[in-house]
Amino acid sequence: MKTIYPSLFCFAVILMAGCQKSINEEMQTGTLKVTFKNTVKGNQMALNSGNYSNQHGEQYTISKFKYYISNISVTGVPIVPNSLYFLVDEGNPASLSFSFDVPVNKYHAVSFTLGVDSTRNVSGAQTGALDPLNDMFWTWSSGYIMTKMEGTSPQSTVVNNKVEYHIGGFAGANNVLKTISLTIPVSTISPVEIREGKTSEVFIEADFDKWWQGTYDLKIAGNPAVTHPGALAKSISDNYAGMFSIVDIKNY
Amino acid sequence: MPACSVLLILKIISLKIRIILFFCFTVLLSAILISACKKNDVPVDDGTYNPTYINFTIPAGWPAPATDIFVNNRLTEEGFQLGKKLFYDGRLSKDGNFPCASCHQQFAAFATYDHDFSHGFDNSFTTRNAPGLFNLAWMTKFHWDGGVNHIEVQPLAPITTQNEMAETIENVLNKLKADTDYPRMFKSAFGNSNINSQQMLKALAQFMGTIVSSNSKYDKVQRGEASFTASEQNGYNLFKAKCETCHKEPLFTDNSFRNNGLAVNSFLNDFGRMRISNDKNDSLKFKVPSLRNVVLTFPYMHDGRIYSIGQAIDHYRTGIITTQPTLDPLLVNRIAITNTEKNDLIYFLNTLTDTTMTKAARFAQ
Repeated sequence: MKTIYPSLFCFAVILMAGCQKSINEEMQTGTLKVTFKNTVKGNQMALNSGNYSNQHGEQYTISKFKYYISNISVTGVPIVPNSLYFLVDEGNPASLSFSFDVPVNKYHAVSFTLGVDSTRNVSGAQTGALDPLNDMFWTWSSGYIMTKMEGTSPQSTVVNNKVEYHIGGFAGANNVLKTISLTIPVSTISPVEIREGKTSEVFIEADFDKWWQGTYDLKIAGNPAVTHPGALAKSISDNYAGMFSIVDIKNY
Repeated sequence: MPACSVLLILKIISLKIRIILFFCFTVLLSAILISACKKNDVPVDDGTYNPTYINFTIPAGWPAPATDIFVNNRLTEEGFQLGKKLFYDGRLSKDGNFPCASCHQQFAAFATYDHDFSHGFDNSFTTRNAPGLFNLAWMTKFHWDGGVNHIEVQPLAPITTQNEMAETIENVLNKLKADTDYPRMFKSAFGNSNINSQQMLKALAQFMGTIVSSNSKYDKVQRGEASFTASEQNGYNLFKAKCETCHKEPLFTDNSFRNNGLAVNSFLNDFGRMRISNDKNDSLKFKVPSLRNVVLTFPYMHDGRIYSIGQAIDHYRTGIITTQPTLDPLLVNRIAITNTEKNDLIYFLNTLTDTTMTKAARFAQ
């Protein structure tokens, strides 16, 4: 009878370890919180109220700014299952941060996929962040809108001076999926130091201003709306691939 | 590890307390185990989920479907019945008047009978002819332009399009949640009562994807259960010689996109697949439709401009505009068909009607 307790206890530990999905039970872990900070030229993005201008002096406002993140890794260590997607939505503060268990260690780099991988684009009805309710799925030409910006500009020639960039496309030459690899500038910012039971937070800035330039010179007057996959969407994605940078690390 | 301290504590307490603790510990353990193993995307099996699994049968001699549409959507009788209820439910549309079945009528092989364009919300018209819905399990691209790549996401288009059902998915789900039957039906179909878009779409796919048309006279002849008349047989021989490349047996389509030389409708300016691919080589290309049940699915072509089979054949004999750069190479000389051959061809096409499907109670409201 006396021996039943320890054996029961061991049984419980084994079973619970069996249920754990990603992180090894024996590995010490802490929490990594990833927080996205959407800006325009480094200033906090203000939906609807912020007045911005691009390199051509074209004025614009932003009413929606959303993008998909997946496959997050820290220094090459995957920390989320491939099937998990996050929709970062400036209009939904709760969507700007997410937390994961990460093995105790120091990390100098963060990488992630910007967009939704091709398999998920052709595999039928999805749920969670990929639910079509999130208004990031084209119903007439199946596929996810990987990144979305909407706003207005006096330089726009389309109805109600709309500016709409719905960027997607998962196949062939017009694939807009991007792998974003960010290195922590260790000369100015300390690395992510995950300690057991503690939380570290990495702040990633996404500067919308980068959408306008880079490899392609985007002008509102010429292209106020880009709403289907194609060469133009690809060019804009090449621009915005450069919008991310790690701006701060906090080891709590 | 705290195991040692647990042991120490256990040693110094009495047997009675140990027995009580044993029960508490067991209960707690079960609770922890259940919560630890729970995954959000897996149906919660509380012992009441006991669906009737059904198999999808491929007719003898037919190719396997190009993709297994049910691989991540295991067919159950409950899922099929839920899909059927949804298909016939007007609440999927904004004003309640436009269920899927309003444009996809069973007696017309799930096309819209005798309409070039179907009617949508607020006295609107669709801009393309509604296709028949059958043998969709063999289809990998949906719509005349192939813009939709999976049967599960196809209903999103008609439900949300302003000139069709004109509703939002959010509103549809709210209406279903407020219903007395749906929560129970979702639970029997999927093991949980989450009325979400994914489960709604999977149920619709179970209904639509299992509609198979494989019992026409043609099929019976192939199986040795019937025989063609002389005219039908002549028509079949002619069909094999002149039509089969595109309308490939046994599905009577090769599911490709081709320009068959129709003049551009200046109201619609519909250039077909080019809109999806952004490739000018795809200008004026539309999906080759199946000729199964062709008698019932009139009018014909992507915009329903041709009302009879005879006129459709005449288009291939004399009507093809041969100057369009993307015209299908098989049609550059049009198709030579004599009047007698045309009649025999029509006799043959009549053998493709499958009343077993169009009258099946299983698919009826």
